[in-house]
Amino acid sequence: MNQLLLACQFLPLLGLLLIFLSKGNEKRIATISFWFSHAMGVSIVALLSLWAVAGFPEYEYHWFTLYEQGDYAFPILFYLDKVGAAYLFCVWTIFAIIVKYCRVYLHREQGYKRFFQTIFGFVFGLNLIVLSGSIDMLFAGWEIVGISSFLLIAFYRHRPQPVRNALRAYTIYRFCDVGLLLGAWMSHLLFHESSHFSELSRLFENDAMPPAGYLSLSVLSWLIILAASGKSAQFPFSFWLPRAMEGPTPSSAIFYGALSIHLGVFLLLRTMPIWSYQVLPRLILFSIGLLTVIVASLSEKTQSNIKGQVAYASITQVGFMFMELALGLEALVLLHFMGNAFLRCYQLLVSPSIVAHLLRVEGAVDTDFYIKNSSSLQFLPVSIRSTLPEVLQNTLYVFALQEGNLERLVRNILWNPLKKLGAKINAAGFKVKALVALALLGLVVLAPVSGGVKIYLSIPVSLAMVLVSFGAFSEKRSPMNVWNGVALSSLLAGIAVWLLNSAALTDVALFLTGIVPAWLLGLWVLARMLKHENFAEAPFVYRAMAETRPGMSLLLFLSFLGLVGFPITPAFLGQDLLLFHASNQHPWFAAPITIAFVVNGIAAARVFLRLCMGRPTEVCVVDQSR
Amino acid sequence: MYLEDNHLHQHSPVFDLDASIDHLAHWLPTQGPIKDFIHHNTLHAFQHLPFHEGVSVAGKLFGARSYLPLDDYQRMFREGRIKQHALDWALERAGCSEEQTQALRSTLFDQDRRSHYPPVSLVNHGIRNAWMNRMEVDLNAMVHPILFRLLANFLDQGISRWTLPKNGERFWDCVLRLAQNSLLPLYPFNELAVRELLNQSPDEVIKHCLQKMVGSEALYEQYLLEVLLAHPGWSGMVRIVEQSPKSLLARRRISLKEMLAVELLCELAFVHIRKGDGFLNIAALPNLQGIPLLDGDVLRPNVPLRMRVWHEAMEWSLHSELLAALKNQSPLPAKQDSVSKPLPEAQAFFCIDDRECSLRRYLEEVNPAIETFGAAGFFGIDFLYQGLDDAYPVAQCPVVIKPKHLIREGSAKPKAEKKTKSPEFGKMHFSAHSMFRGWLYTQTLGLGYAARMAWNVFRPTLKLPGIKALSEVGEAHTHLHLLRENDEPTEDGYLLGFSLPEMADRVGGLLRNIGLTKDFAPLVVVVAHGSSSVNNPHFAAYDCGACSGKPGAPNARAFAWMANHDGVREILRERGIAIPDTTRFVPALHNTSRDEITYFDQQDLAKHPIKELHAFKQAMQHALQRNARERCRWFELGPQSHSSEEAHDHVIARASSIFEPRPEYNHSNNLYCIVGRRALTRHLFMDRRAFLHSYDSETDATGEILVKIMSAIIPVCGGINLEYLFSRVDNSVYGAGTKLPHNVIGLLGVANGVEGDLRTGLPQQMIEVHEPARLLIVIEQSREVIDMAFARIGDLKEWADNDWVRVAACQPGSKALSLYTKSGWEAIELPAEIEVPVANRSEKIIGGRGTTIPVHQFTGRHS
Repeated sequence: MNQLLLACQFLPLLGLLLIFLSKGNEKRIATISFWFSHAMGVSIVALLSLWAVAGFPEYEYHWFTLYEQGDYAFPILFYLDKVGAAYLFCVWTIFAIIVKYCRVYLHREQGYKRFFQTIFGFVFGLNLIVLSGSIDMLFAGWEIVGISSFLLIAFYRHRPQPVRNALRAYTIYRFCDVGLLLGAWMSHLLFHESSHFSELSRLFENDAMPPAGYLSLSVLSWLIILAASGKSAQFPFSFWLPRAMEGPTPSSAIFYGALSIHLGVFLLLRTMPIWSYQVLPRLILFSIGLLTVIVASLSEKTQSNIKGQVAYASITQVGFMFMELALGLEALVLLHFMGNAFLRCYQLLVSPSIVAHLLRVEGAVDTDFYIKNSSSLQFLPVSIRSTLPEVLQNTLYVFALQEGNLERLVRNILWNPLKKLGAKINAAGFKVKALVALALLGLVVLAPVSGGVKIYLSIPVSLAMVLVSFGAFSEKRSPMNVWNGVALSSLLAGIAVWLLNSAALTDVALFLTGIVPAWLLGLWVLARMLKHENFAEAPFVYRAMAETRPGMSLLLFLSFLGLVGFPITPAFLGQDLLLFHASNQHPWFAAPITIAFVVNGIAAARVFLRLCMGRPTEVCVVDQSR
Repeated sequence: MYLEDNHLHQHSPVFDLDASIDHLAHWLPTQGPIKDFIHHNTLHAFQHLPFHEGVSVAGKLFGARSYLPLDDYQRMFREGRIKQHALDWALERAGCSEEQTQALRSTLFDQDRRSHYPPVSLVNHGIRNAWMNRMEVDLNAMVHPILFRLLANFLDQGISRWTLPKNGERFWDCVLRLAQNSLLPLYPFNELAVRELLNQSPDEVIKHCLQKMVGSEALYEQYLLEVLLAHPGWSGMVRIVEQSPKSLLARRRISLKEMLAVELLCELAFVHIRKGDGFLNIAALPNLQGIPLLDGDVLRPNVPLRMRVWHEAMEWSLHSELLAALKNQSPLPAKQDSVSKPLPEAQAFFCIDDRECSLRRYLEEVNPAIETFGAAGFFGIDFLYQGLDDAYPVAQCPVVIKPKHLIREGSAKPKAEKKTKSPEFGKMHFSAHSMFRGWLYTQTLGLGYAARMAWNVFRPTLKLPGIKALSEVGEAHTHLHLLRENDEPTEDGYLLGFSLPEMADRVGGLLRNIGLTKDFAPLVVVVAHGSSSVNNPHFAAYDCGACSGKPGAPNARAFAWMANHDGVREILRERGIAIPDTTRFVPALHNTSRDEITYFDQQDLAKHPIKELHAFKQAMQHALQRNARERCRWFELGPQSHSSEEAHDHVIARASSIFEPRPEYNHSNNLYCIVGRRALTRHLFMDRRAFLHSYDSETDATGEILVKIMSAIIPVCGGINLEYLFSRVDNSVYGAGTKLPHNVIGLLGVANGVEGDLRTGLPQQMIEVHEPARLLIVIEQSREVIDMAFARIGDLKEWADNDWVRVAACQPGSKALSLYTKSGWEAIELPAEIEVPVANRSEKIIGGRGTTIPVHQFTGRHS
């Protein structure tokens, strides 16, 4: 069973690597994906049947411990229970269908290789989430799914719109990752060794006392709910989902119709013991679900495009799932999840049929064809239509048309203040910046070594870290500055942690071994890329380097992943460690470091998009003589 | 000529908004709602210019490529598809001096990866870019989602559940209603700076906004054009709805002016939000040099000579393949004696469509005693048709004809009452069911969709019952109400049915067109065509182009009914066309994606049994299978074996798979159009590349028939050809891009993503294997008669004059070939070394080949 677990987990990764190494020959890729999807299917089925024969146990497998220091440990843990099994089953069915579907559907498409790579990466992340035994590992999977989702939305990189929408989805993902990152840290803090899912339920079994304080437990619950609602496009983040329907139809179907959107539900199911312990988080969850159902079902009424309509219908159902979860109807949620996943996946796959369906099938004279009696369907419900004053009708319509105005709400609350602050920072003169830097440096170097002062020193350092991040976030004219800003902010994070806890020096070093090479690589690539460009002259133009300089773009992408702490470099682990060490005694530090982490990620992603996406627009000036 | 100071101050005559909009609108795409797809020249607005110049100007407006990459041409040369003689021919015609020609020749084989990139264009480098580059306001990104949502919801034909416009409401009024009479603000029309503007008329709003944002009247028109071309799909759709509201089922009242007013208001609001009151308008911005201007040299063509030469060389190589084959074939018996030649066993009429080209070849190959004819697929019967299950009547004739007659299909047996109004169970996934019903459905039925999905993907051909395939449409128990009972027009002003003389006009007209006025076989099959596919919003582009993108079955049925009618035959006999009583016409429909055929009106056959029909059906079945195999050579994932049955199974699976974006390749690689007797082409293998129209030069001394034929062929075949050509040359500007991410918007069209512009043109999956060459129309007629005919085709002559199609004449008898040019006919002299390849069977030619095949000559076939 252990081997099977590992097989389920790593077959997609192997597939991804093989596809990456293959020459981009369509047949080869198709064969690889065929065999790997089948091998994965076989191992999933075998795993599930073994598990069933064993009597549906809650099975945990500790592979090895990746990193251990003091009371911190990062074990590679796998865990399988009913929830995981249900999700695994869905992953298998839908993935197998989509791979078969795409074999033909994507035939001769330019990004054939890219597509299959991404989709294998996605399944790898998905299995990691589903099979993970602790929140840390789940977070790694969460990041992988986020990045592959980002890449698939921007699949058609020639046009600016998919690229913009990819960034939109990514920012929401990134923001909601705060929930999970802090959640992972808090669970370390609260449950120590026992952040394993297998032990979560046991922790709460003795009902006399919760394993942690009420307050911290509530905070943890809220964080988890935040993470879940971002991924599942719940209130107030619903708006990104319909806009994410930019990739090939099957990728929309598997991500936003079927699997990705239900990951929030999965997270909640996994951590049910934590947040269901108290009433307040349940209440919050219920209200989020309810608000989502209201907003999304109204928005769905005015979607005049088919994919947007399916998206909002799906969001509504996930809203119901949240409500069911809040009521503790675990089994119902599982059933509901599977039903919704398959139905929405199918709806999206056949969405191009809607024209033929409505015109040729529904268009029959004697069935109700909504074009004919549109006026009678104008505003539901019928009973009050005649009494509903026009102003209310209009209001309702405007509300639905603007999808509850959630997008502007989120933008105004979250991003605009950051942008303004960042712009102010960037506007500050070089002298001011240099002065601040010198002062900080001087303080850090010259400061007396006594522990107490150092801790206070870490306050301005972490403040500087956050401000540098904001600066990078609103920097538009120079990608170099963004890259340096992100790296500087990470460096400051390291310094701050060191100041807080000098024992963590090795961990800081570990963190920086991930960041520094990524940063340097990025600088080199950027310098090469921008050699002949005047970036500041047209900062908003997409430069299509992925097309014109694919090698450089790949390097920039890797550097981007390293810089934002994606689980390919030690920085991922280091990030977790920094949080753990620094915030053990100083919980306030968790806030600035996560904010910086989120903002850095978005800033770096933006640079990557601006440089690598777009259509080559080199201008051909043909003179008459040729 | 670039923007200079004096330019800003020099005032052009007062800006006239209406004239300006009318002027700009002709550059917009004219593709209607997706339910009827009518092929047309994508660059129809530039047809008054010679081809290369028109293409160049269009490129400078739209930011599109004009030719294939240079590499592609050079590769074709290496592979022998472009011949040296054609390259010489093209160089000669490039209009250069001796010196220039030499210089040009020396650069032909240079490597240049950028030569086909789009030129500096109004769309990509115009004055609106100033917002982005100098003011750092990405107006398109902010305004388009809002505008597109309003437009899509206003024009929506049935996807959204709540309809936006009230009965007969105009777009502007509708937006006003939402903006002014709602408790929630309609963003961004609630912005202080634009709120008062809402009370003014669209005219005033546009002028106010232009004055605020652009500043100089000289730039107004260009600014408006750039606004429109930033989303050509929606602009074009609005224009079409404005001009022909009938193109929508649910009528909407909207105009380009209203759309512009809403859009400019929106822009103004955003500029205010981002920049406050004191922003600089465009004319006041410094450093605007280098921006292309509409009244500067944007409209002046700039043809890249090297690309032009390569492109023409490619076309001429391909064209000369046919011309050489026509010229070289063994002389035909000049005039066939009706006595010496045995009557054919059966005759079959096909559409001119290039997809029927191979089917006709196979049918004749299977049974040489079958004679085939080609005619425009509406078979001369122009009418509006309303089938038994149709909610509304649709035109069944080329767009250029405005039909006056309405035909309804009736049921022979009383119709069974439909029991329920609730949607069928199997179709529930089409309604998204968001709320409680959705909750119930997903809980209960959702899992079933896993099975259904797996079934559809892994076993596409085993259909779950319930979906009616196109081939099943013609049920035996229906009939068409063709004969007019009274002359009372319907409320829409149509006549219900035809009178007998009107029928005789149409039947006789077609028979004369194709030159069949005697020697009727006992069986004449009228084969219309249509195409069935699933999960395909562009389905209308797959059907018959001569029937406005519908299957041609009603036309075939109408034609056969009329031609079988004794009264009609009586009149025809008086007019000199004697159809023997023993001759019966049978209508049929060829499904071009599944390669299946359906014979209609079986009840009629029961009354008049025809003994030849059985043999014909068998021959047809063989022909269809072999045709399927020939089509399979293009399908890389299809079987490449020798088995026709396997190929046939494959094409059926293709047409019924939800994951197959290419049910067929339609008109890909269309290249030739031949107007003449079948005897001229019967010996030729033309690789499904030819539109074939039957025409007998001897019966048309005045060119009268030719006028009729040309006025159908030029817009239909020429339109198809040029739409394929431009969609292939720049699929992202002239075409619809890849099909895979398409999202159906309001039943009007497809877009990328939820908030994209409507995509016009053809998707990549239809054109990817197309060789973008212009159509060569070969007419088997003397040059004098052709000239007479051309003098009478009106505007269509500009297609030939400006080389948007090439026309060649093939002198009957001598087969002397000449090429039409604006300045007169040129004799075509092909180098002697061109050899026409020879084969004795189609399968010998197609075996294992995945690219286009030159014209072959068959040996040992008798006509």
